[in-house]
Amino acid sequence: MSEFLMVIIGGLASGAVYALVAIGVVVIHKATKTVNFAHGGFVLLGAFAAYLIVVQLGWTYWAAYVIVPLLIGALAMAIEMAILRPLRKADLFTVITATIFIGIGLSETYRLSYNTEILSMPKPIAGPPFVFGEVILTPAQLWVGAGALAAGLIGLLLFSHARIGRSMRAMASNVRGATLCGYSVNQVYALAWFMGGALAGLAGVFAGPSKGISPDLAVAMITAGFVGAVIGGFDSLRGALLGGLLLGLAETFAAAYVSSAMKSAISFLLLFVVLLWRPDGLFSERKIRDV
Amino acid sequence: MSDRLKVVLRIALPSLAILLLTLIGSLLSSYWQYVFTISIGATIIGVALVMLVGYARCITIASGAMMAIGAYASALAVLKMGWSFPLALLVGLAFGALAGYVLAVPAVRFRSHNLAMVTLVFQEVVIIFLREAKTLTGGAEGLNVAAPVIFGMVVKSDIANLLMTGVASAAIILPLTVLLYGPFGKNLRALAANEVGARAFGISPRNYMIAAFVISSAAIAFAGAISAPRFRIVDPDSYGVLSSIFMLAYPIIGGMNSIWGGLMGGGVLRILPEVLRPLADYLELIFCVLVVLTVMYFPGGLVELVSRAVAKLRTGTNKDSPPDEVVLDSADTRAAMVRAMPPAMPRTDEAAGSPALSIEGLSKSYGALQAVKRVSIEVGAGRLHGLMGPNGAGKTTLFNMVTGFTGADAGSVSSFGRDLAIVPVEQRVGLGIARTFQHVAVFPSLSCFDNTIIGLGRNPVRATMRRSLEAAYGGASVGEERDAVMAALDAVGLKRLALQPAGSLSLGNQRRLEIARAIVSRPRLILLDEPVSGVGADEAGHLRELLLAINRELGVTMFIIEHNIGFLLSLCDRLTVMSYGEIIAEGEPNEVVSAQHVRSAYFGDKDAA
Repeated sequence: MSEFLMVIIGGLASGAVYALVAIGVVVIHKATKTVNFAHGGFVLLGAFAAYLIVVQLGWTYWAAYVIVPLLIGALAMAIEMAILRPLRKADLFTVITATIFIGIGLSETYRLSYNTEILSMPKPIAGPPFVFGEVILTPAQLWVGAGALAAGLIGLLLFSHARIGRSMRAMASNVRGATLCGYSVNQVYALAWFMGGALAGLAGVFAGPSKGISPDLAVAMITAGFVGAVIGGFDSLRGALLGGLLLGLAETFAAAYVSSAMKSAISFLLLFVVLLWRPDGLFSERKIRDV
Repeated sequence: MSDRLKVVLRIALPSLAILLLTLIGSLLSSYWQYVFTISIGATIIGVALVMLVGYARCITIASGAMMAIGAYASALAVLKMGWSFPLALLVGLAFGALAGYVLAVPAVRFRSHNLAMVTLVFQEVVIIFLREAKTLTGGAEGLNVAAPVIFGMVVKSDIANLLMTGVASAAIILPLTVLLYGPFGKNLRALAANEVGARAFGISPRNYMIAAFVISSAAIAFAGAISAPRFRIVDPDSYGVLSSIFMLAYPIIGGMNSIWGGLMGGGVLRILPEVLRPLADYLELIFCVLVVLTVMYFPGGLVELVSRAVAKLRTGTNKDSPPDEVVLDSADTRAAMVRAMPPAMPRTDEAAGSPALSIEGLSKSYGALQAVKRVSIEVGAGRLHGLMGPNGAGKTTLFNMVTGFTGADAGSVSSFGRDLAIVPVEQRVGLGIARTFQHVAVFPSLSCFDNTIIGLGRNPVRATMRRSLEAAYGGASVGEERDAVMAALDAVGLKRLALQPAGSLSLGNQRRLEIARAIVSRPRLILLDEPVSGVGADEAGHLRELLLAINRELGVTMFIIEHNIGFLLSLCDRLTVMSYGEIIAEGEPNEVVSAQHVRSAYFGDKDAA
């Protein structure tokens, strides 16, 4: 029983990071209709930036939590403006290939600038583990889980309530209508990429200590982000949040009760099953066709 | 005869180029022989991906897995079954085809990013399997691959490897070229350009995409099988997701719309790591930058840059394309040209006296909105039957149910006594039913000739593969098809523009091309969806003459939806008016439009105003 509880909490903690990635993917897709395959690269660079701040500069984690999202958000925005803006008239195929190779380019940039197998980071908070009966949880685990979840919720609230969120939602439902209402396409797109990038960067800061930093992190995170987004229906932020958490649970259960190979395969199997069985996601209401 | 030679040469040229490359390589030092070997091996992958990525527009991230499947299957065939190497190559090919099918069946339900994700799932699951099934595959350490033995000779030296790879690559690229240059490749491009238009003429998206996956996967697996012995060991890490992504770069950088693009992309990019050793660390990054630059600034890839440079060298010799206008003929000449079309195939399923189109009690609701309410219309054979109605009357919904693109909630549609409910969209052209589109659905990158030949409707996958082969060796049907297509283009006045890409035509001419495509199969019934929307009054008049001539000379029944009331009045012999999903009037056109309730449906009630 206690093991079961530990698995659940551990699963939710890693799932919260996936949720953060998935929300970023969905924010960008919802506002700009672009599926960003470079998102894993953003997470990786976020983790790397956190490493530089915490390990190289010796600053506190708090600095990383503030600086990294701004940095990666700015990078995402720059990529949108320099590469994707000129491709706005191009077809989906072109944009997807572009983001795939941008993503690989980002991981390669990291690999070239820091040519080691894997970088490890200190835990964000140390301290004795909490022991509830037989359930043992490290403070770091709880911190990451709670922090990522909180960040995800903030992103969700920003999108659904704040003014900037309204502009993105307007753009999502009707580009021409939103333009007529005075929203600038360029501004909203840049903003959406900034927000998506910031969420990815933050996910990197949370993921770095537990998963280590290597180009594999980018592939793992883009997969996790996509699985979370697909489970949630790809256009629902709340769905992406739940999808990420669900994936975290599934992975942890697979590792605990099946095998480590199953842990690496489960996200792909989950993606496959959801796409075939419920292509609109598990949580989305069925869209009513507008006539 | 020289034309025949040209066709054959065009198809054989890529394979001949590979053989020439092999010959040149064999004269060089053993290092260059090695470089040429891997370059030539990669051309197979480049061409295979031109089919799947360039023509069918499927983004695949599973090429590494396909190579691995070919490499492991052939290695195991030699190792565990003791089969000879040439046989093992075929085993690799067969497993690749099988794997392509297994991947395609679920994958082709999706497009763009979801399709890419399904291929990523396949890629990762294959690699995880190779790593975990240790007793079969040796796990992460991999398998030792013996040097191939072909007809008693051990292939070990660089030159032997080069010759083997060169000959095998030329042999595998030849059938790919036949398919890509032939109707199969054109139909794939048509499908990628306009899925709805392609389906209406019998091109099944599912079957074509599955075929593209199977064929290209088989070729990639073959490339994996033939290259495996050179590495001595095959292990899962060599075929990871990164290798898949870099293979995706081959057709993109080389040029996705051309076999030569695949050849160049694969051949050049694969050897960059070898010839640019000092930059080896930066190569992946350079790859990425090249791809992004290519999609941003040179969507046609390397091959287009080369052909543009060649064209520049040859300035002055290039012919001007004919002007994009129609030579207007008198009504009599037009009628004579329409009459000159080859006769229709005799149809045996004709139920005597049954109407060309019979719509009975057709209904469709979207949520609370009832778009079409129990509509019944009968179109007699040989008639020109118009359907009009204000915006939102349900015309388009009705039309989509008649053409089979939207399922009906209730009611039935039949043509010449045949119930259409059970006939898939792709098979209707075979029943003598053709259509045109409100938003023109021509295939812009294909020539007018190639657009029209698709209208013949001989497009099931297997038939198209056979036709591709016939096109290569000049079978009897080739000439017959050409005559039919040229007659149809002549009938609509586009003969001179036969070789121009459809996308370069004016809207009026694209509408003519749609009519040529619709009549080339000599259908009994044509469904026209706003045939003059967006064209000027003069052009509308010409199109009306054309449709009248087709109706009169070929006896084709037409069912026409149109907003332009004047056009309908001067064309149709019967008119139906819809409003709010219901038929409000039907009869002789002039009487119908002068009826008071029809006028008020359009202009509102005088009393209310």
